[in-house]
Amino acid sequence: MAFSIFGIFAVLLEFIRPFLPLILAVFAIDLVLLAVALRNNGLPAAWRALRSALPVGVVAFMAGLVFVPWITGANHGNLAGLIDWLSLIGASVGVGVLALFLVWPPVALLRGKMA
Amino acid sequence: MKHKNDRQPQRAELNVDSSRRRFLKAAGLGIGSLSLVGGGIIASQPAQALATNARIVIVGAGAAGLAAANRLSSRLDGAQITLIDRRERHLYQPGLTLVATGLWKSGKMVDENQRYVPRNVDWIHASVSEFEPDANRVVTDTGQHVEYDYLIVTTGLHVDFDAIEGMSPELIGREGIGCVYDNPENANRTWEMIDRYTTDGGVGLFTRGPGGIKCAGAPLKIAMLTEDLAQRRGNRDHLHMIYNSPGAGLFSQPDMDQFLKEEFPRRDIAINWHHRLIGIEPEQHRATFATPEGNVRLDYDFIHVVPPMRAPDALGNSPLAWQEGAFADDGNWMEVDRHSMQHPRYPNVFGAGDCVGTPIGKTAASVKAQVPVVVDNLVSVMAGRELTASYNGYTSCPLITSRGQAILVEFDYNLDMVPSFPFISPYREHWVPWIMKDKFLKAAYNAMLRGRV
Repeated sequence: MAFSIFGIFAVLLEFIRPFLPLILAVFAIDLVLLAVALRNNGLPAAWRALRSALPVGVVAFMAGLVFVPWITGANHGNLAGLIDWLSLIGASVGVGVLALFLVWPPVALLRGKMA
Repeated sequence: MKHKNDRQPQRAELNVDSSRRRFLKAAGLGIGSLSLVGGGIIASQPAQALATNARIVIVGAGAAGLAAANRLSSRLDGAQITLIDRRERHLYQPGLTLVATGLWKSGKMVDENQRYVPRNVDWIHASVSEFEPDANRVVTDTGQHVEYDYLIVTTGLHVDFDAIEGMSPELIGREGIGCVYDNPENANRTWEMIDRYTTDGGVGLFTRGPGGIKCAGAPLKIAMLTEDLAQRRGNRDHLHMIYNSPGAGLFSQPDMDQFLKEEFPRRDIAINWHHRLIGIEPEQHRATFATPEGNVRLDYDFIHVVPPMRAPDALGNSPLAWQEGAFADDGNWMEVDRHSMQHPRYPNVFGAGDCVGTPIGKTAASVKAQVPVVVDNLVSVMAGRELTASYNGYTSCPLITSRGQAILVEFDYNLDMVPSFPFISPYREHWVPWIMKDKFLKAAYNAMLRGRV
């Protein structure tokens, strides 16, 4: 039973719907922080801040590898075959990227203040 | 005196400004694109709605009825669409097995129909007590006559507890009796019984109603998740589990049938073939099964009762039901062409969901496949065009075998596996189908209710 691209987005929208206000609030705060950091310190400084925040993303990725099965009510013994392990890695990459982009704006702002 | 370096801060500022503008422009474009996609999803309209003043009645506001209402409201311009259902509450029924085995809280599967009824659809809060297709009308239990030009029947089915002597829904949660069907209250009480059984141990009887039932995988999932829970509690040795099949198989799809016939013995779940539950004596903890060799009485500490199911009486006793044949004998199901979902004797009537008599497919996944066919073909009838949409019998069961693993079983009328995701084997337990069942399928279901998938 195939899903179109719009269908996939429709499902994702339903999935995040209960958390949408929180997601939008966090996104808005991060965007504002990033805009302030860019205005104050410029884009090159912001890219440097991204590199500084990278370890947070890496730690979050590793935490994902350990904890994502447990969060889903399963354990690593339930993972069977390539699709499960690739999915775990993919989900953990997502966790890492999310953590990175959440932390980047405040780091960019703080680095500017400390510079 | 000007120095060369005096100009460099200005050039650096210009570079920062322009790169900042490019970044913000790209971010703005990204946000704008996402908004367009999101807005497109939320407010999607077909390229060209059919202009009509037809009266369309949809009986039943379950999964099929709401999905049909939403799809039709966007496909038609000017139609008078009426939805008839007394129920305010909407139940995500695929969640029942998860509630009954302690994996979900019941609140997760309860919603409100009001959230999904389109604004341009009239909702009559009543039940249909009579179908009069020769007069193109239905009659509600409040005596209201509702006439139509086109009818979509999505009533769902009736769980026939009375077909088991001594059984009633009030017994669920007492005397070791559980039943996952078909509301969260029953599922909650069933969990209390399973929780106690996997702690105290004893004889557990697991049954399956004969003929067509909704979510035919549920009785199997209840058995396997109960066994898994006992294992995790370290109490498995104190449980003697027996699955009673009313026939000679465990699952209609042959590969899954073979898998389960090997899996159950491996997990020390005994199987009684041709054992159809016909009676229960709650206070004696005794169940009676009809077998080819005569009636057999088995004592139990826990029993999972799965009653026979049939079309609601108003539908089953109407001209819309199969008048003869297996689907008439089995449950007085609604007669439809198995591919077009159109009624063969009343061409302005269509059916979808649990109430229809088709070889397989009383699942939410079947509804997802059937409703677009119903809507497409109904619009074709209205436009005087040939019916081209066809339902191939698609059905799906994320067969949870233990907490954390499931097999994503999808098949069609031919009983051939038709996996949606080629990279997920339908013959093997995986973690990913478990996540789909536990986390994502409800979102897909809600998107289906809104007519978006």
